[in-house]
Amino acid sequence: MFHPKKPSTMNSHERPMCVQGDSGLVLTTDPKPRLRWTVELHERFVDAVTQLGGPDKATPKTIMRVMGVKGLTLYHLKSHLQKFRLGKQPHKEFNDHSLKDASSLELQRNNASSSGMMGRSMNEMQMEVNRRLHEQLEVQRHLQLRIEAQGKYMQTILEKACQTLAGENMASGNYKGMGNHHQSVPEISGMKEFGPLMNFPSLQDLNIYGGDHLELQQSIDRSSIDAFLPNNDTFLMGKKRPNPYNNSNGKGPLIWSDDLRLQELGTAASSLGSQDDPFKADHQIQIAPLSADHRGNDIDSVSDIYETKPILSGEAMADKKFDAASKLERPSPRRAAFSNERMNTVISAGGMPQGRSSPFG
Amino acid sequence: MAMVMDLDFSGYSYSTTTTITTSTEGDQGCNWNDWSPVVDWEALSGDQEDFHYLIDSMMDENVVLHQPVRSIQEGYNRLSPDTMMTDEESNSTEDSKGLRLIHLLMAAAEALTGANKCRELARVILVRLKELVSPLDGTNMERLAAYFAEALEGLLDGAGGGGGGKKLLGGGKEEHHHQTDVLAAFQLLQDMSPYVKFGHFTANQAIIEAVAHDRRVHIVDYDIMEGIQWASLMQALVSRKDGPPTPHLRITALSRSGSGRRSFCTVQETGRRLTAFAASIGQPFSFHQCRLDADETFKPSSLKLVRGEALVINCMLHLPHFSYRASDSIASFLTGSKTLNPRLITLVEEEMGTTGETGFMGRFMDSLHHYSAVYDSLEAGFPMQGRARTLVERVFLGPRISGSLARIYRARGEGDVCSWGTWLAMVGFRPINISFANHCQAKLLLGLYDDGYRVEELSNNKLVLGWKSRRLLSASIWSSQDSDL
Repeated sequence: MFHPKKPSTMNSHERPMCVQGDSGLVLTTDPKPRLRWTVELHERFVDAVTQLGGPDKATPKTIMRVMGVKGLTLYHLKSHLQKFRLGKQPHKEFNDHSLKDASSLELQRNNASSSGMMGRSMNEMQMEVNRRLHEQLEVQRHLQLRIEAQGKYMQTILEKACQTLAGENMASGNYKGMGNHHQSVPEISGMKEFGPLMNFPSLQDLNIYGGDHLELQQSIDRSSIDAFLPNNDTFLMGKKRPNPYNNSNGKGPLIWSDDLRLQELGTAASSLGSQDDPFKADHQIQIAPLSADHRGNDIDSVSDIYETKPILSGEAMADKKFDAASKLERPSPRRAAFSNERMNTVISAGGMPQGRSSPFG
Repeated sequence: MAMVMDLDFSGYSYSTTTTITTSTEGDQGCNWNDWSPVVDWEALSGDQEDFHYLIDSMMDENVVLHQPVRSIQEGYNRLSPDTMMTDEESNSTEDSKGLRLIHLLMAAAEALTGANKCRELARVILVRLKELVSPLDGTNMERLAAYFAEALEGLLDGAGGGGGGKKLLGGGKEEHHHQTDVLAAFQLLQDMSPYVKFGHFTANQAIIEAVAHDRRVHIVDYDIMEGIQWASLMQALVSRKDGPPTPHLRITALSRSGSGRRSFCTVQETGRRLTAFAASIGQPFSFHQCRLDADETFKPSSLKLVRGEALVINCMLHLPHFSYRASDSIASFLTGSKTLNPRLITLVEEEMGTTGETGFMGRFMDSLHHYSAVYDSLEAGFPMQGRARTLVERVFLGPRISGSLARIYRARGEGDVCSWGTWLAMVGFRPINISFANHCQAKLLLGLYDDGYRVEELSNNKLVLGWKSRRLLSASIWSSQDSDL
C-alpha cells in the first residue's frame, strides 16, 4: 500500500536486479549476493524486535528465532539490527521531525557519492520512516476498534441497567428517590443517559450516510464484533461533526457512541421545541441545560431529551432484535452511524409508557 | 481566571454549528488520518486562564506555603471577609475569592494537623468555608473547595487515626449513590476525559505485546470494577494476526467482602457480563473470583494457576471512578504477586507532585493542585454541561478526594510517601519498556480530547497523562522475570 520513495537517481548498487530465493528472501544478483531488506522483511524484523522489547533488548539470535525466516543468518541480522538501532533514535519521537528527516534524507541521498553502503543505509532509514508511518496507521486502526469494543461493552452494562430499572419501575409504583434529591421522575433521571437512545435515526438514514465515511469504516463493518451491530456500525469514524463538548479546537474529533448518543439527543431536542432550562429543580444527572439559543442542535439539550422520553418498558428491552425503528424521530440528516441502534429501537418500540413527564413545566 | 463556567449561555456560540443544518459538506473527511500525533502541545496549551494555574503559581512561589501564621487565631482573623477584600492582591474578585478559599482550606488543614492543633478552630473554619461554597454550583474552585472542606471535615470526625480497614473517610453523606447515577457518571466521565481509556489502553497494549506468542493468558485483576478494560483487550486478542490464534483468556478478579459503594455491579455480575461479551466476539474465556478476607490480605496460593499460561497482574489503582483502597491491601497484593513470577504487571496510579513536600500541608496542597487540574480538565471536556460535571464530581471525585486526604493524613509524619511504581522497583520488579505503538496509541487517544492533555514517557516503562503542566495519571509496566519476555 505504500512504497518507499526511490529517488530518480539511484546508485548502481541499488539497481533492482533481484531474485527471489526459495525461502522468499530477495537476494541481489550482483557479484556479491546480498540480502535485500524488502519492506515486508523489514516489517517482520521490526515486529520481532518490538516483541522482544525494543532494539536494545533484542539480540540477533532471538530475532532470528522469532522471525523464523529460513536463510536469514545471524550476520544479516547483526548488521541490520545495528543499523536499526542507529536509525531508530531520531525517529523514536513521532513528530514533525521524522518527516523532515525523511525529506532531508532524500536530499542527502541525491547528493551523496555513489557508495553502496551509504545508499543502502539511507534507504533503510527512509524505509524506517515509512515503516513508522505505517505503524502509526495501524495503531490508529486498532485504537478505533478498541474504543468501539469499549463502547459496546458499555452498552451491555446500560442495557442491563435499563432492564433492571424498567423492571423496578413497573413493579413498584413508587420512586426510589435519592436522599437529598427530589425528583419528579427518579428513574427517568437515572435513565437519562439512556433516554437519548430513543432518538436515533432509522436504518435507512444510516445507510444514506454510509457512503460518506472513510474506507476505514468498511473494515470496521467486517470486524468480528459484528455480532453486536447488525448494521452499519461505524461508530462515526472519520465523520466530522461538531462536538458540543469540545469546541476549543476546530478539529472534528472522533466521537464514540456515548458522545454521539448525546448529540443525537441534542438534535432531536430541537424538534421537540426548544426550551430553556427545564430542570432547575432537579439536580440529577442531566447534562446542564444549555443555551437558550438553540442553534438547533447538538450542543444542547441533551437534557431536554432525557426528560421527555422516560422509561422503557421491560419487555421492549427484552427484544433485542434489530428493528428498523419506525417511531424514531428524525434528527438532522447529518446523522451517521452509531452503534446503539439495537438499543434504541428497542427503546422506541417501548414507547412512552408514562406519557410526557413534567419538567418542561 | 478560571471561572468560565458561569458564562451566560445565550451568548455562547460554536464555530461549528453552522455546518449542522446545511449540507453534508462539513461532514466529510474528518479524516482519521488528519489527526496525527504531531501536535505541538506547547502552542496549543498556552492557556493559563484557569484556577489550576492560580494554585500552580502559589505552589511555586511558596509564599503561602511556608508563611508562618503568627497564631492560628490571628491568621483566621486575617482571613475574614472584611479584611480580605482590602487585602486583595489580584485584580479580579474571583481570583481573590479563590485565594480566600485556598487560604481557608489551608488554615483548616493546618489547624487539623499543625503545630497548634486546634480541632475546634478547624471546625469553625470549615463551617465558614462551607457557607461560602457549595459542591453543586459555583466555579470550579468553589466546588473543589467544597469537597475538600467535606473531606477535611471527615478527617475531623473520623480522626483519631482511622484504622487500616477504613476505606473511606468523609463524604459519608454521599456514600450511597443510586446505581443509575453511578452508571451515568461513569459514562460521562469517559466521554469528557481520557483518564479511563488511557489507563486501560496503555495497560492492554503492553499485555497484548507481552503475550503475543502465548496460547493461554491469565490475568489477575486487583480491582475489576465493571470490567470494561477487558472488552478492548478481548477485541485485540481476537483480531491479532501474528502468533498463535486467539489465546484462551482467563481472568481472576479479586473480590472483597462488603459492598463496593461506588461500584454499580458486583464482581459476579462483571464476570457474567464479560463472559457474555467474550462469547459474542468469539474469545475463549473463563472467569474466576478470588475472595479476599476483611483485611484484604492476598494469598497467592488461593489462585488457580495453569501450567503454560502467561500470567499478567493488572493493578488499576486511581482511576477517577475507582474506590479507595488501603495501602496495606495493595502492598499485600503486589508482594504476593511477586511470588507468582508473573510475565507482566501493569500498574496505573495517580502521579503525585514532585515538590518533595513531606509534611501533611505539603501533600495537602499537592492534592489540591492535583484535583484542581482534574476539575479543569473535565470542564474542558464538557464546558457547557455543568450539571454533568457536578454529577461526576459528586459520585466519583468527591470520594476520591476524601480518600486521598485520608491517606495523606494517615501518612503524616511518615516521611516520604512513594508511589507504587517506586515501590515495585524497590521490591525487585523489572521495568519493561513502553513500545512505540503504545506511546503512539496514547497520543492518538489524547488527540480525541481537549488539547490540554498531554502524554509523556517518563523513565522508559511509564507513560504519564497530564493536564497542562500537571501530571495526573501514570501507567507503568513491570515484569518479575529475569529471562526474556
